[in-house]
Amino acid sequence: MNLNYSDEQNMLREQVLKFCETNYDFIDREKILDSDSGYSEENWKQFSELGWLAVPFKEDNGGFNFGPIELTVLFEEFGKALVVEPYLSSVVMSGTVLEGSNYPKKTSIIEKIISGEHQVSVAYAEANIGYNFLKCVTTVSKDGDNLSLNGSKSLVLNGGNADQFIVLANHENAPALVLIDADVKGLSVQSFKTLDGQTCGELTFENVSLNAESILALGDEAETLFNRMIDLSILCISAEAVGAMTSSYMKTVQYTKEREQFAQPISNFQVLQHRMVDMFIETELTKSLLIKATLQLDSDDPEAANTISALKVQVGKAGRLVGQHAVQLHGGMGVSNEMSIGHYLKRFTAIDSMFGNTQYHINKYQKDK
Amino acid sequence: MDISFSEQDLQFQEEIRAGLNGSEFPSNVREKQEKGTALTKADMIDFHKFIHSKGWMGYNWPVEYGGTGWSPVQIYLFLNELALAQCPTILPFGLSMVGPVIYTFGNQQQKDRFLPDILEFNTWWCQGYSEPGSGSDLASLKTKAVLEGDHYIVNGSKTWTTLAQNADWIFCLVRTETTQIKQEGISFLLIDMNSPGIEVKPIITIDGDHEVNSVFFTDVKVPADQLIGEEGKGWTYAKFLLAHERFGIAGVPVVKVQIEKLKNITSESNDADLSRKIAELEIDLEALEFTELRTLAAMAEGGHPGAESSILKIRGTEIQQRLTELFVEAAGQYILPYEGPDGFESNRIPAGPNYASPSVAQYLNYRKTSIYGGSNEIQKNIIAKAILGV
Repeated sequence: MNLNYSDEQNMLREQVLKFCETNYDFIDREKILDSDSGYSEENWKQFSELGWLAVPFKEDNGGFNFGPIELTVLFEEFGKALVVEPYLSSVVMSGTVLEGSNYPKKTSIIEKIISGEHQVSVAYAEANIGYNFLKCVTTVSKDGDNLSLNGSKSLVLNGGNADQFIVLANHENAPALVLIDADVKGLSVQSFKTLDGQTCGELTFENVSLNAESILALGDEAETLFNRMIDLSILCISAEAVGAMTSSYMKTVQYTKEREQFAQPISNFQVLQHRMVDMFIETELTKSLLIKATLQLDSDDPEAANTISALKVQVGKAGRLVGQHAVQLHGGMGVSNEMSIGHYLKRFTAIDSMFGNTQYHINKYQKDK
Repeated sequence: MDISFSEQDLQFQEEIRAGLNGSEFPSNVREKQEKGTALTKADMIDFHKFIHSKGWMGYNWPVEYGGTGWSPVQIYLFLNELALAQCPTILPFGLSMVGPVIYTFGNQQQKDRFLPDILEFNTWWCQGYSEPGSGSDLASLKTKAVLEGDHYIVNGSKTWTTLAQNADWIFCLVRTETTQIKQEGISFLLIDMNSPGIEVKPIITIDGDHEVNSVFFTDVKVPADQLIGEEGKGWTYAKFLLAHERFGIAGVPVVKVQIEKLKNITSESNDADLSRKIAELEIDLEALEFTELRTLAAMAEGGHPGAESSILKIRGTEIQQRLTELFVEAAGQYILPYEGPDGFESNRIPAGPNYASPSVAQYLNYRKTSIYGGSNEIQKNIIAKAILGV
């Protein structure tokens, strides 16, 4: 067993850390949130130039052939600064599906993703099915010689900016993953701000015509690919949560050392010290499950799915504790939108809600284990 | 011991219920409350004027100052009925905070000048306590009032001032003297918000709402006859106010109504896990409600709620916060699209239940409850010191 990051992985971490220190303070981030697209195109270009958009892709497709470990390194650092660029949707989610598919033109799309000029989002959620994504109502059906897509998808991350969508749909009672262009006839997109300042879209399909080629995967193959994408996405947002927890407790420690009440720094009070210790403990425990899940996913361990559920539960519980304590210990400043600390709480809340919340994964773990 | 309410109490309850369901209740307020949209200043004024028109405004005041003189049990029943009828909360700043201070410590001229307007809701009050450097350690406050002839000149700033943007008057703790013991130099001053030199700046909270403000005072001239009681006794009045303002602090009736809403939601979705969590919360609420009733019973016997009322604040806010978590859990992933407390316009509605966005707004907003009014940590210090004697 070796639980040390390689030199290369440490260098990547250093690089992201430096980038965020220079380009991603709270005020930079506020400006990005206020922009129309909800992310910075300039940052996205830099992500590409720094090679980050190529991280998980195979060398054949122009990537670096890195795996889950490198992705978690990136996301942990993103989490510390609450980075909002659409890396999860465009690189991790759509990248996993595209690369795992037999789509003949996938290399050219991946190359465009890596160069930063093209974004693809996966439309996986719907209005009435909760977290049972595969039980979707959106349907691909035969329309003469052609295929057509009907229905609607919700909560599509970065949906307002994507150039293409990968849509999870039902085709003859089996799951299908289909690729469509954002400007295709019959598709309408409505974009919303999310609670943590990102964006998501609502997609409606009315007889969107497809050709056979746009079906990326069908049946068991689609299901396996989809589940792999969800697992990897959970891993990434969990790493992000670990980064956000680290920032939250460190900022809280700093604040309590500076804030004076009763003629002394409030960090002198034991009850607050213990709260901060609890925050630290939860962060470390989350990090442990994160590393375990990362290594299992990296080695295609069949236990990985259970560990992913365990991780998601821990992230939900720890995120809530750390986020709430951080706000409480900042007092009124904690609930002020002008301080970064409350924005971590929002991100923890969003992360818990995505890809199955705490209760969903407790049940899944109980059932599968 | 007897757990039941008297015949008269039940009749009283019926009268209140009938009054709240009557046709005089402002329809603009009712519509917005049903939809869950925010009330404007005008709506709030309509509501309070309605309560006054029923003769209920001074529900916690003695008769001699225009109050109802109700017993603690009647007050309890009244607040319960308000919540059941989905009324907004009666604003505490005038009625429950500054009012009792004025009628207890003010002179006759001050009582005549301020109390009727509070009862009729002609004036909207706000509270000037916290300062940027004085939160939990309130007595360290620095806003200064210097007597020059028949005026005080006030300089400094207050923060987290709830609804100061709507207020006509502010009651402030100010420092009139620098003393060895910091509590001794504090005075209680009433200030007209229209005075030159006052500036109100909004503070946006993490739910995106504008509820609290910073209030800045630059050479604000305040007539000396707006000082309550004696100079240097402000801290005593402030402590009196804190002890007085314990009715309804636990928020039990509102939580009850919200729990019913949540139960309706979960019965539709058949969510056993959530149902169990709601049951746990209801059990917590039962214990809290009966603790509140014990406090009321003691008061009805002429007792004064002491540090025990800190239990109501601590557990009450914990339950309120837990409730908001359960709403968020019920909404699941559909909390992502966010439009703040008011939810979405009807022509732009994302997927998911319509309570999703307001639920997450409430969750974020309610983080304040364990911070304000003496943080829960401070409340625990009070219990440790005053009850446990440690």
